[in-house]
Amino acid sequence: MMVPVRCFTCGKVVGEHWEEFKDRAAEGEEDPAAVLDDLGIERACCRRMLVSHKDLVDVVSPYQ
Amino acid sequence: MSDFDVEFIDRGDREARFLVRDVTPAFANGVRRAMLADVPTMSIDAVRVVENSSVMFDEMIGLRLGLVPLTTPPGEFEIGDTVTLALDVQGPATAYSGDLVSSDGMVEPADENVPIIDLKEDQRLEVEADAVYDTGKEHAKHQGGVAIGYRNLQRAEVVGERDEFADDDPEIVRGVIEDDGELVPAEAFDNDLRNRYPDSEVRVEDVPNAFVFDVETDGSMSVEELVLAAVDTLYDRADELEEAVQL
Repeated sequence: MMVPVRCFTCGKVVGEHWEEFKDRAAEGEEDPAAVLDDLGIERACCRRMLVSHKDLVDVVSPYQ
Repeated sequence: MSDFDVEFIDRGDREARFLVRDVTPAFANGVRRAMLADVPTMSIDAVRVVENSSVMFDEMIGLRLGLVPLTTPPGEFEIGDTVTLALDVQGPATAYSGDLVSSDGMVEPADENVPIIDLKEDQRLEVEADAVYDTGKEHAKHQGGVAIGYRNLQRAEVVGERDEFADDDPEIVRGVIEDDGELVPAEAFDNDLRNRYPDSEVRVEDVPNAFVFDVETDGSMSVEELVLAAVDTLYDRADELEEAVQL
């Protein structure tokens, strides 16, 4: 649905970086690894939070 | 009160690495645990929903609001104190943590850009939330520290020439090494001792009772405030014990 606010494992706040990550890597041209490094998301547990996320609000909202 | 020998390696507002000497492993772990479980922070705990026509249930919105870190100046609150915050966003828009309006200037969202919920046309989110001052022991959302750890300081010592026909395997070290009193983070030589000492044989051993702490906070307070508050809770506990065993 919405991006998780924090990393499930360590608790770092990752939600605030989602929109930039999405623009630059998930839907953009840049290398996701380089973008994550640039955003300061270093640990594998936090990186998977963004890499594996999919926004579903647009998919769900018509059935509200 | 004894003094600790503390030396900073990296120092930032939210992330720092520092070396502490002459502490036992038990004490080092005590400080780590105190940083996670005993330092209280403000966090949204109860939510009164006025209107929620978004695609998420009230409970899910409540959970997300609870996880948003709120700035908490140390020493200003008692356990159980509450501060009220309000959020009112009309779609089409995204409700962000920065839209939270606080009744107390000291308690503000530490990060402004955390998306709470994406609102479509005619959807609205209006809530009133109570932030409570409590410890990480009560709920992980009250933890001020994130992924805090420590490891032994390692001493690197050149013991001779590298054997001409030695295996060409990497010699990986992590953390911080001490070389003749100089502190070198292992990332400086890409974690491989061969990069720093190309033609020497190096012996690496742990320095007893010297620990390098890696501390990161969620923004509710600075690293310095977190560490000092954690050490204070240890002193408080020792005092409590002393009082309890007195006749």
